[in-house]
Amino acid sequence: MKKERKNHSEEHLRYLGKRKRRAALVWSLRIGGLLLILGTWELVTRVGWADPFLVSSPTRIAKTIAGLYRDGSLFYHIGTTLWETLAGFAIAVAVGFGTALLLWCSDTLRAVLEPYLVVLNALPKIALGPLIIVWFGTGSRAILCMTVVVGLVVAILHMLTAFIATDKNKVLLLRSMGAGKLQILFKLVIPSSLPSFISMLKVNVGMAWIGSIMGEYIVSKAGLGYLIVYGGQVFKLDLVMSATAILCVLAAGMYFLVALLEKLIVKNEES
Amino acid sequence: MKKEILRFSDVTYIYHTKRDETTAAEGLSFTVKEGEFVSFIGPSGCGKTTLLSLAAGLLSPTSGLVTRSGSCGYMLQKDELFPWRTIEKNIRLPLEIKKQDTPENRMRALGLAEKYGLKEFLQSYPSQLSGGMRQRAALIRTLATDPDLLLLDEPFSALDYQTRLNVTEDVASIIRGEGKTAVLITHDISEAISLSDRILVLTARPARVAHEHRVDLTEKDPLKRRKEAGFSLWFDRLWKELNG
Repeated sequence: MKKERKNHSEEHLRYLGKRKRRAALVWSLRIGGLLLILGTWELVTRVGWADPFLVSSPTRIAKTIAGLYRDGSLFYHIGTTLWETLAGFAIAVAVGFGTALLLWCSDTLRAVLEPYLVVLNALPKIALGPLIIVWFGTGSRAILCMTVVVGLVVAILHMLTAFIATDKNKVLLLRSMGAGKLQILFKLVIPSSLPSFISMLKVNVGMAWIGSIMGEYIVSKAGLGYLIVYGGQVFKLDLVMSATAILCVLAAGMYFLVALLEKLIVKNEES
Repeated sequence: MKKEILRFSDVTYIYHTKRDETTAAEGLSFTVKEGEFVSFIGPSGCGKTTLLSLAAGLLSPTSGLVTRSGSCGYMLQKDELFPWRTIEKNIRLPLEIKKQDTPENRMRALGLAEKYGLKEFLQSYPSQLSGGMRQRAALIRTLATDPDLLLLDEPFSALDYQTRLNVTEDVASIIRGEGKTAVLITHDISEAISLSDRILVLTARPARVAHEHRVDLTEKDPLKRRKEAGFSLWFDRLWKELNG
């Protein structure tokens, strides 16, 4: 792929134009679709076809968020959940990566632990909720723990699969050069697993949000998950909808950051 | 009398799987001398790759002795260039692994790359090169540590026919130009004839040397050799030995 900007033929320019128009169409449909849904939602609640008490409405959501902002609790709740999510995400990814490395290094350890990992992976993590509360208390620590537990096994299995899938011929090549296990690890296994690492990050973004919100459902005094549960209990669906909307934005932002990271570090892969 | 680079003395290799044990080589004996280009041909699955792994020291023989004087470089069917490294960094890989990444060695390796037409591609990534160029880069990588013996495991078989002839030509001239000793395993009879000083025909598994030939064709260049009168006679002879 060489970068050539000038001297395009007429036909190529037409082709580029077509692509551009298509991208514009996709984007306008995306935004238009969203506006249409929001508009319809607003309309049906205004004219009385649906009860805004049950389904809320875009303006009521905006007002609720503005209210949270005015009484100063908006960023407190966002900050609480965001911190739990990001810290849990980071710990799960780091510990997962390290554990997968250990398991790659020792075939015996891998064989021993494999069934346990499979079971832990299949176990619904929420079943651990009561234990986590008893062990870690009812504060942020318990939620952080829940977030880690949800993401950890996925991270381990994802990375281990990637490490094991390292091209055998490339390993053979390195061994023929006299490479030891550590050299194979750093020169080949880790760099070649980079695309899998990114896809693991993407999966774990979702896992971290599941973990933190689930944790807040079980036990919390603050956070977006807390707002959702609390709003549901006192039938303030505006609050539920508002917290959900904020969650959507935050999750999208975090995913976007990972995608950006991917663009920065994964280059020149064979297509 | 030229120095012996590689000697197999009565080598037997048995590999084990859960289901079975397989004798890949039995009583295998031969020698390779300095500066020689020796090819092994044999029916597919006869344990040719095992032979190279034994020569490279990646496997130890079950019985018998493999002696090799000096270092070796291994070249595989596919180029196995690392896609996240530039060509330059790929070529330097064996130097890094052997902890010989000194300025002199680096200069020497890059000198080879320039000499054999890779200069403009040094900062490119493998995906930007054609198959032929990539295989050439793989050869330069193999030569980077200045090995005494090259082990070539069907290095041309993944290329299309046209590229294959060109790359064979390339590789032959580079190997002869650098005065390297080479062991090639292949299932392609004409490739073996066009490149080798000596051809060893292996039996079906377990591999043993069935016939040994010194190729008496005068041309050194593989393409010209293919046009020599004696070429087809050699082909027929080896064909019969392989299929007889």
